[in-house]
Amino acid sequence: MNDVNSQEKTNLSIPIGRMLRSDTTGFTFGCLLPEPEVPLFGDFVKAPAQQGLTEIIGIIHNIVIEDDLFVRQLIAAPELPEAYIQDQRKNRQIPIEVSVLSVGYSSQSNIIQGLPPQPPVTLDYIKRCSLNDVIHFTDRQDYLALILNSKETPAEELIATALQRASQARPIEDREIFLLQAGKELARLLSDDLSKLNSILRRIQVNT
Amino acid sequence: MGLELNKLSEQVNNMGSTIASRSAEIADRLPKARATLAKITNNDPVLEKKIERALSMHWTGAIPTSEPVHAVFQCPSHPERANIAAADGSQVYPDRHGIALYYLINTGSIIFRHGLDEAPICSSNPHLFHEDHDLYPNEVLIPSSLVNARRDIAELRELAQIAKREVKTAPTLLMLDNGLLLYLGLQTAEHRQSDEILGEYLETLSDIESTNACIAGVIDRPRAANVLRLLRLYDMENDMFDNHALRTLGDYSQLTDRMLFGTLQPGERSAIFVNASPQNLERYLPKGQKIVFYYVNAGTSEQPVILRVEIPEWVANQPEQLSLTHSGIVEQARFGKGFPYVLMRSHELAVVSWTERGHLDEMIGSSMHRSGLSAVISRKAQGKQWTNSAKRRYGQ
Repeated sequence: MNDVNSQEKTNLSIPIGRMLRSDTTGFTFGCLLPEPEVPLFGDFVKAPAQQGLTEIIGIIHNIVIEDDLFVRQLIAAPELPEAYIQDQRKNRQIPIEVSVLSVGYSSQSNIIQGLPPQPPVTLDYIKRCSLNDVIHFTDRQDYLALILNSKETPAEELIATALQRASQARPIEDREIFLLQAGKELARLLSDDLSKLNSILRRIQVNT
Repeated sequence: MGLELNKLSEQVNNMGSTIASRSAEIADRLPKARATLAKITNNDPVLEKKIERALSMHWTGAIPTSEPVHAVFQCPSHPERANIAAADGSQVYPDRHGIALYYLINTGSIIFRHGLDEAPICSSNPHLFHEDHDLYPNEVLIPSSLVNARRDIAELRELAQIAKREVKTAPTLLMLDNGLLLYLGLQTAEHRQSDEILGEYLETLSDIESTNACIAGVIDRPRAANVLRLLRLYDMENDMFDNHALRTLGDYSQLTDRMLFGTLQPGERSAIFVNASPQNLERYLPKGQKIVFYYVNAGTSEQPVILRVEIPEWVANQPEQLSLTHSGIVEQARFGKGFPYVLMRSHELAVVSWTERGHLDEMIGSSMHRSGLSAVISRKAQGKQWTNSAKRRYGQ
C-alpha cells in the first residue's frame, strides 16, 4: 500500500492543463512539456462543468505534440546544440494537446457513468483523478460501453490500459476481483465479437 | 464582396514579367558597381574632397574607415562561452474606435548562454499606457511614430538591463532586429519630443557602452544604398556636383548594397563604413555616439543571406567586440536559416496576436464595467467586426 499512498500524495489536485475545446462526448486540453505530471494514455482526469456543480470524469485517449514551421526548420539543422533543444522544449509555448473521452461525472457526491449534461468550458483547469477518485468511479463498469461505442478512440487499447490503471489504484488483494468483474462485463458487452473480447482480456492478463 | 482573385490574374502575370525583366536589367548594372568598388583606395584625396562637400549637402552615403572598402573578412571563431541576448518589441496603437483609449508596448527578450547546455532565459514585459500624459503628450493623440519610438527605447532599455547582469559571466552580445539609428522618432513633427526621445535612446546606448557588452542592430533584406552612393560620388568628375546628382544613383539606380555585397562567401563580412546620414553625424555624433555598419553573409553557399549589421563605433574600435558581433550573428544564424535565432525568438516573445489583443480588450471592458462605465466600441468598429468575421453559408 505504501506505493499507492505516495502516489496518491503526488496526485492531489495538481492541474495538468487547461481546456482548449470540448463537446458533450469529450474534451481536449493543452499542457506544456515540463509539467510535473505529464499525462499518460489511459489516465483518468476530471474537469469542472456547470460552474463547479458537476465534475466530468474522462479517460485520455490521444496525446498530440504539435509542430510548427520553426521546429521543422530546426530538425534539418546539423549538430543542433542542446540549448536550442531545451529552448524549444521548455520555453516555447506549443501545447501538447490531450484528448479525453468523457465517461461520466460526479454530482453532489454521486457518480454517474454516462455522458455529462454540459461540457467543460475553455481555459478550465484539468486535473488528474486521485487514486480514490479512480477506485470510486470504477466501482461500476457501465463506462466500458461508452468506450466501446466511441468511434474516435482506439477502444481495445483504451479499455485495457484504463482497466490496468484502475486495477493498480486498488490494494493488491482487490485487483484480481476487480479485473474479474470487468472481464465479466466485457464478456456481456462483446458477446457477439469474441475476437475483440479475447484481445482485451489477453492484454489485461498479460499486464497484471 | 472581398478580394476577387480571378480579376487579378492578368495583372499578376504582368507583374511577374515586369519583375523578371527589371531583375535582369538591374543585374546588368552590378559588374560596373563591383568594379568601381574594387578601384577605390583609402586616403584618396580627390574622393575625400568629394565626401567633404557631399557631407555639407546632407549626403546619405557611406564614409570609408581604415579598412579597405573592398576588403573581405573571414568569420572569426566564436568564443566557447558567450551570452547572446536579443530584445524585440511590439505595440498596440491607440484606437479611437476601440472601447477605451490606450496603447500597449510589449517587450520580449531572450538570453542565450552559448556554451552551456541550458534553456535560454526568456521574458515578456507588457506595459499599458493610458494616462493623459501618455496619450496626449502634445495635447493631441500620440502619433504612431512616437509609439514606435517608445517601443524602440523599451527594447534598448531591456538590453541595457540584461547587459548589466550578464557581462559578469561571459562576453555579451546584444542584438536588435533593426538599425541603431532612430529614424521614426526623428520624423515626428514635435521637435522637443523628438529631442527627448533621442536623448533617452542615446543615454541608454551609453549605459550599454559602460557595461562592456557589445550591441548590434541586424537588418534582414536591407534596401540601403549608402555604399552605392559612395561609388556614385567616386564616379563624379569633380566635386562641383549639384544636389540632384548627389541624390540619384545614376548607373547604379535600383541597386542596393545587399546586391553589391552578394559575392560575400558564407560567414564573410565586408569592410566597415560610417553611415553618413545627417541623423548620425548631426544628432548622434554631438552626443558621443556614431553608428557604423558592415554587411555579412549569414547564409550558406546555396542560400546566401546578406544582412546589414549596424554597430556603434566604440564596438568597431574594439577588436574582441567587433569579432563577437561577427561570429555571434553568423553562429546564431546557423539555426535560423540565415537570420539569428535569438532575434526570431525575441520577436515571438514580443508579438501581440489579434486573439491576445481581443482578450486584452475583454479584460479592459470588464474592468470598466466594474467601475460603472460602459465599454462599447464605435459603430464603425462594430460594423467591421461583423463584416470581417468568417462568412458562413447555410447548407455548407
